Amino acid sequence: MSDIITAEASASPGARPVGEAAQGEVAREASSIEMQGLHKRFGRDTVALDGVDLTIEAGEFFTLLGPSGCGKTTLLRILAGLEEADDGRLAIGGKDITEVPPHKRSVNTVFQSYALFPHLSVRENLAFGLKMRGLPPEEREARVAKIAEFIKLGDLVDRRVDQLSGGQRQRIALARALVNEPDVLLLDEPLSALDAGLRSQLQVELLRVQKRLGMTFVFVTHDQQEAMVMSDRIAVLNGGVIQQVGPPREVYERPANAFVARFMGHDNLYPVTARQGGRLTTSLGELTAEDAGEGGLLLIRPETLDLLPGEVAGDNHLPAVVSERLYRGSHAEYRLEIGSSTLQATLNNRGRHLPEVGDRVTVSVAPEDLVTLSE
Amino acid sequence: MRKRTLKRGLTGFWWFTLAFLYLPLAVVVLFSFNASNSAATFTGLSLRWYGRLMGNEEILSAFSNSMILAITSSVIALGIGCLIGYGMYRHRHRKLGWLIVLIYLPIVLPDIVFGISEMAFFVQVHRLTGLLQPGLVTMIIAHVTFQIPFVALIVYSRFVGLDPTLFEAAKDLYASPTKRVVHFMLPTIKPALISAFFLSFTLSVDDFVISFFTAGPESATLPIYIWGAIKKGVSPEINAIATLMIGAVALAAIISLVFSRRRQA
Repeated sequence: MSDIITAEASASPGARPVGEAAQGEVAREASSIEMQGLHKRFGRDTVALDGVDLTIEAGEFFTLLGPSGCGKTTLLRILAGLEEADDGRLAIGGKDITEVPPHKRSVNTVFQSYALFPHLSVRENLAFGLKMRGLPPEEREARVAKIAEFIKLGDLVDRRVDQLSGGQRQRIALARALVNEPDVLLLDEPLSALDAGLRSQLQVELLRVQKRLGMTFVFVTHDQQEAMVMSDRIAVLNGGVIQQVGPPREVYERPANAFVARFMGHDNLYPVTARQGGRLTTSLGELTAEDAGEGGLLLIRPETLDLLPGEVAGDNHLPAVVSERLYRGSHAEYRLEIGSSTLQATLNNRGRHLPEVGDRVTVSVAPEDLVTLSE
Repeated sequence: MRKRTLKRGLTGFWWFTLAFLYLPLAVVVLFSFNASNSAATFTGLSLRWYGRLMGNEEILSAFSNSMILAITSSVIALGIGCLIGYGMYRHRHRKLGWLIVLIYLPIVLPDIVFGISEMAFFVQVHRLTGLLQPGLVTMIIAHVTFQIPFVALIVYSRFVGLDPTLFEAAKDLYASPTKRVVHFMLPTIKPALISAFFLSFTLSVDDFVISFFTAGPESATLPIYIWGAIKKGVSPEINAIATLMIGAVALAAIISLVFSRRRQA
């Protein structure tokens, strides 16, 4: 987890003028988005959105996260105007745009397939939106040149669309949307078609662009790692309902329910069978928790665990046997058996002793690292 | 060794097929340059039959009828077929698939049935309203009718080959419905339109059966003229017309092919 980016990011929401950090590149106020009671159905049986209330702050990098079919793409398409909500209101920058058609919204989208026009050159693709809005040719050229420099497109602008690689197309698609200086930029899984290396490189680039412009970005992804790296705040969706909204650390460390926890990659979930103050009984044994909440499900994050060799008595110490170890260089992932339950643990490799399969160990966890959540 | 024999055999078969297709055409082209008026013996090269064409009023009028018919019908078919092709694309996901079969029907229907139906229809319309006397107008209508399916299918296949998100990108990038047509759809399907036009043109110039049933006394096209003239025997003049038609149709077909290749790229 990159604490630096998270810390920087959580400081940024608020109506800070666009371009404050961008050395006057774009001098515009960022826009907030308010959604109220958005409903959307496809056909008779498919509910895509079931009452979404959400406010996205001006200048925020906001991510809609969820599995496929959760409604995140439908929500993005409603923001773009490509889909009409059956019910509910939508406002951008305080102006109600529920009924405004897409070509009259100051909103641009980076599509998953990039959707670059094959009949136009890269330069014409970049200028398309400006041309449609009736800007004179000189101004179009100036703005295309400015964005090409900003996104560092170099000589890409003089190529044909079919000569571009996936990563290059992605950057052109981003530039084609940004050149219009929209109130809000929408990104529909823009990195999902790229290989891992290029993907993380473009994640960083996209994040820098957003921070420099201070523009409101709404990003859709099904990848929780990507969501955590990029976002100021994340909304986790399932079945057309928002499950949780919060900064990445909150969503990861204090998930609101079992769905969010599992989606964020947590497996160590144990029903609480009895509770006495901070004393919780689970299938692992008795544990003392501090400020763990009132939920019926205990979450233990693998990276909060420590493994002590042999049997060591103590509070929040559980005797366990190592049944599996995956050595990953920087860390090792363990599967431990405690009675009839299993527990995942992650140990940083700081040159210390790493227990082997079959070893008897003692699992130790701090009371403040335990949280409970609802089913 | 056996593999090589097989390969040679197949190559030979290819040349045989080509010869089978093109030798008759070569005979017509060759005899159009014959110095004598014999259809059996070739005596030497000459352009006299082409000269003769230029002085023949009937042939010139048939040629101009063919051109007017082909160009007018192709332009009209292009407009209507283009709209139908787009409509088929827009509604491809609805349960209207069976309607699309209707558009294929004229393609598979025998020309003679099609021609007779058109004729019967025009006769009835003329009887009831006094309009649509057999002539160029009825021929244009008949040709447009059989050209439309080809245009519609070419335009449809071009739209189907596009990333559907492009339509949304155009909306997203501030293009109004009119601007989407002018700046996105038409330029994107331009190669398909050019290809469809030349295909329609070729079909029209080639057509004899449907033209024959819908023509009036003044509106003979080249194929109709040839058919009439041939009753008096094959003259070298006919060979010259046929050669010119082969050239024109080949050119249109090549242009159509070049643009259909380009739209696939």
